[in-house]
Amino acid sequence: MNLELTVNGKTQSMQCEDRTLLVDLLREQIGLTGTHVGCDTSQCGCCTVHLDGQAVKSCTVLAAQADGSSITTIEGLAHGDALHPVQQAFSACHGLQCGYCTPGMIMASTDLLRRHPDPTDEQIREGLAGNLCRCTGYVNIVAAVKQAASLMRAAGSQSA
Amino acid sequence: MNTATFTPSRVEDLRLVTGRGRYTADWNLPGQLHAHMVRSDRAHALVRGIDTSAAKASPGVVAILTADDVKAAGYTDIPTGAPVKTADGSMQVKCAMPVLATDRVRFVGQPIAMVIAESARAAQDAAEQIMVDYEDLVSVTSMDAARRPGAPELHGVAAGNLSAVAIAGDEAAVAAAFARAAMTTTLSMDSQRLAVAPMELRACLVDYDASADRYTVYTPTQGMLGMRGSLSQISGVTGDKIQVIAEDVGGSFGLRGGSASEQALLMLAARRLGKPVKWVSSRSEHFTSEWHGRALRLIGHIALDAQHNILAIRWEHQADLGAYTCYFQAFIGTRNLSVTMGGVYRIPALFARQELIFTNTAPVSAYRGAGRPDIAYAIERLIDQAAAEHGIDPVELRRRNFIPNDAFPYTTANGTVYDSGDFDGTMSKALVMADYAGFAARRDEAARRGKLRGIGFGCYLEASGAGGAPKDVVRAKFAADGRIDVFGVTGSSGQGHETSFAQIVADGLGVSPAAIRYRASDPSQELVGNGTGGSRSLYGAGSACKMLAARILELARAAAARALDAAPESLQYVDGGFQTGSATSDPGKRIGLLELAGRLARSADGAHPLDCEGEAVSGATFPNGCHVAEVEIDPQTGVTEVIAYNAVDDLGTVISPQLVQGQVHGGVLQGAGQVFGEQIIYDDDTGQLLTGSFMDYPMPRVGWVPNIRNDYNPVPTTLNALGAKGVGESGCSGSLPALVNAMSAALRSRGVPPMNMPFTPARVWEALSERAG
Amino acid sequence: MYPFTYERASSLQHSVQGLRSDPEAKLLAGGMTLLPTMKMRLAAPSRLIDIARLADLRGITREGNTIVIGAAQRHGEVAADPTVRAAIPALAELAGHIGDPQVRARGTLGGSIANNDPAADYPAALLGLDATVITDRRSIAAADFFLGLFTTALEPDEIIRAVRFALPRRAAYAKFAQAASGYAMAGVMVAQLDAGIRVAVTGAGPGVFRWREAEAALAGKWSSDAIAGCALDAGALNTDLHGSAAYRAQLVRVMAAQAIDRLS
Repeated sequence: MNLELTVNGKTQSMQCEDRTLLVDLLREQIGLTGTHVGCDTSQCGCCTVHLDGQAVKSCTVLAAQADGSSITTIEGLAHGDALHPVQQAFSACHGLQCGYCTPGMIMASTDLLRRHPDPTDEQIREGLAGNLCRCTGYVNIVAAVKQAASLMRAAGSQSA
Repeated sequence: MNTATFTPSRVEDLRLVTGRGRYTADWNLPGQLHAHMVRSDRAHALVRGIDTSAAKASPGVVAILTADDVKAAGYTDIPTGAPVKTADGSMQVKCAMPVLATDRVRFVGQPIAMVIAESARAAQDAAEQIMVDYEDLVSVTSMDAARRPGAPELHGVAAGNLSAVAIAGDEAAVAAAFARAAMTTTLSMDSQRLAVAPMELRACLVDYDASADRYTVYTPTQGMLGMRGSLSQISGVTGDKIQVIAEDVGGSFGLRGGSASEQALLMLAARRLGKPVKWVSSRSEHFTSEWHGRALRLIGHIALDAQHNILAIRWEHQADLGAYTCYFQAFIGTRNLSVTMGGVYRIPALFARQELIFTNTAPVSAYRGAGRPDIAYAIERLIDQAAAEHGIDPVELRRRNFIPNDAFPYTTANGTVYDSGDFDGTMSKALVMADYAGFAARRDEAARRGKLRGIGFGCYLEASGAGGAPKDVVRAKFAADGRIDVFGVTGSSGQGHETSFAQIVADGLGVSPAAIRYRASDPSQELVGNGTGGSRSLYGAGSACKMLAARILELARAAAARALDAAPESLQYVDGGFQTGSATSDPGKRIGLLELAGRLARSADGAHPLDCEGEAVSGATFPNGCHVAEVEIDPQTGVTEVIAYNAVDDLGTVISPQLVQGQVHGGVLQGAGQVFGEQIIYDDDTGQLLTGSFMDYPMPRVGWVPNIRNDYNPVPTTLNALGAKGVGESGCSGSLPALVNAMSAALRSRGVPPMNMPFTPARVWEALSERAG
Repeated sequence: MYPFTYERASSLQHSVQGLRSDPEAKLLAGGMTLLPTMKMRLAAPSRLIDIARLADLRGITREGNTIVIGAAQRHGEVAADPTVRAAIPALAELAGHIGDPQVRARGTLGGSIANNDPAADYPAALLGLDATVITDRRSIAAADFFLGLFTTALEPDEIIRAVRFALPRRAAYAKFAQAASGYAMAGVMVAQLDAGIRVAVTGAGPGVFRWREAEAALAGKWSSDAIAGCALDAGALNTDLHGSAAYRAQLVRVMAAQAIDRLS
């Protein structure tokens, strides 16, 4: 089938099979391999991207369902060389080790912060309930989300 | 926010947080074909025939490999690991797993065939058309079932499904100690079978260059040499013809040291078909077919005298090998369970009898700690149980029996030499940190809310990996861009080697870490060394890095002397440069190291005069610590909240505090996973795997252990140049006993007898309701 | 997945005709259950008719003393909707705890109830709030809608348009999730309706059911200790890897008590 979607700000027309998953379109056809596949039951969250502004599991979305939509992947989060505060905070707080869950974790975190700019521990726990990490033990991930939240609030108040 | 000045904590972070990591599945080569595996859906069956005719005709299929192809290519079986010596002096009965099943399958998920096609989908479609003619046999999926008289035998050569009985220590001395003991305690503890579950799914891409007779193998590893060595062993292809590439690896935890069936088959396929071939696992295949972890039973008997001195511990260990002897479980179930079987205690007599048992389950190999967290767990549970049974305070029982600080180097009753430690100091520090003394008041407050609190701790000690290579060597090559490339064998799967090894070299040279690039397993550099594993890479390769820095400075001194027209011995090395003056404020004549390097002429082959190697021989060290956990159980639902987790570790000299803390956190959560939910379960009747996905296998998530406080009580070791003890597996070794002792204390207060992990809400509730009656 | 044809539905009627003309066709809304099943090759529809964007199936409106929620409304939307939060906070709360945030961005009310997974949350809301399922051709009371394990009263070509919830006097939902899957091991919706008291239980049995003994007890006294002695037949509940029927019975009691206490 024919699709048109906007990925990281760039609108493109593509062709794919009806059964092509969004994650496979991104990885195989567009070559954006930053989004990862980690399971087959839609539970690990490694494949999380933003679809029309919301975090979704791209392994459980057909590319066809995303026709006409706007997608942001991990590769689209930074502005040129300027990293997104969530990306910075993950590094600063050592919220990543092997990095495999990290793109999905960052995309879920940015979505969480959009909904809760000053999240409580409980909101962070719920916000990342769809993401697994085997390396970090999560404590530093939670710290990273909180640091990102305060970076973003500070930036918000500066530009206000 | 000023993102332009952002400096990442680790060198590797920038690419990983922007999605530019390169994991195996991210690689693609022009013209590549795709493979899909056919696996047994029976636990135990004869294979009468494999009908591939329909599959061969399936669209897009290029080839189908079965055991006949493996045999024709001269490939042998999956490596079995070093054999263990048995109690009667004979060698272990080894039953190697064939790369593809021949006339029999022995576990659900065992590889039977590989289909190669133009697309992964086409390969999968074709694989479904393969008909396997099975003749079912009775299966045994537990050690108890496998050892019952009359149980079906997996392998004719292993009577009663016993691969070996090994012993360690002194049986007579232990018997004598028990004979005169004033009190004894016995406890049987299982360390249940687990899935390793790194987040990256296994994958492999092999390209064969016929003109050079060379294989390029992209696959996740813990270090090139182990993977290459196993591929060479299976395929018969010499190591110089195999190049292993693993740029980024998404976790390993002991799983990815060597090749399984798929990587070897892809070598065969790439060569035969003249095209690159790629295979990516699914998560369900990870559960059925990749090596599992742990699967041990540890029965401990402890003998005390009237003053509560420990006279002896006698162990009976059973290790579930799975259906075949693959890689490390034999070693885990024998040496790794006995090397530190007395823990941090001064015990005059130790003995272990160890059985290695075959079952119709996936083969078991190394998973974070590989037996050492398990024995630490068992010792600490046994001590707590003895304290409870005989009315002894658990702190005092330990304090009385710790190896004292003036006893080092201390040789244990079974010959292990511990170099250093401050066990009492570490425990004391941890108990203060956890406000152990104030627990009773918190317990009573919780009780008023209807909740059940427990506090527990584990004084663990583990032997970090000695490594199989004779030494670790790292090599420096001064690059044209003015930086120094440092090549080593050990590869990161999350540990941050690019950052920490660069740090060590940079510290030794007094230059910025940005000037150093660590590159693991670079195919252009042949090196001797160990892969990552057994918590040794920081002190192993790291010590070699320290030696490397010293060697560079040795070589540079002469060149600096010529450049400054001064006597070599008169120069000082200050702030990354040679100078005639003695202080930063008064350098005299000076040349920076990197500036000097830039001025020196290369030889005709491009080598730089300062290119050199550093090496170190680093044996096992003994990281240890005391972790304290406080839990609160809701008796109504059986749910446990981890209220507080405090860790005090003696890791010797700490090079990268943030990375070390991360390793402890990760290990603690893996331990929590085992304590509270993870378990691989097979159906005893059908032999089918019941926990085949994340739907049924509970992985730890955010909030399982909300807070971990870390502190250190470092006693530097003299066993390597860095004084470091290794940290990779410490988190598990501390968390298993701390969490389980806390749970046991809470449940014991309600009359619940000792329980095995996992302490799922359902099991905890059942145990409590049985008592409440 | 096996191959299939994907089409975006142009209208509700067109979708009905699509189902009618091809018995192997299936509707696709959020896909949070259907797509994983297809990925595992356990389902192989010939055609997927994507109804997620149909205006007929979207919207949350207050109509008198009821709220009508479109079948294609996402869980996250229901959870955040001010109308739902004001009128039936228990429903918003339930929707806000389905799955995880990524699932809630996609999964839909209609998709959930049409599937009737015994561990899904929404069936407890519909049964507990005496809701009415409005399809393209009729209205079906919740009590007549859920027929058993993965089975509903829907005809093969029938499509849910919306669900009408009467505003309860008060209601609360408490759920105990299975640690691995996040599905309910016991989810209890307790509600005081004009028509009476409802205690609807999901997750614990082969399908959603009303705990009538508890309803009767609560009618006498609205308090969690009123249900302490109520019979609950564990024999009718599930036993699996994650817990016995007896444990599920316990969870039902505890979740019911929690929900009641929240309203006391």
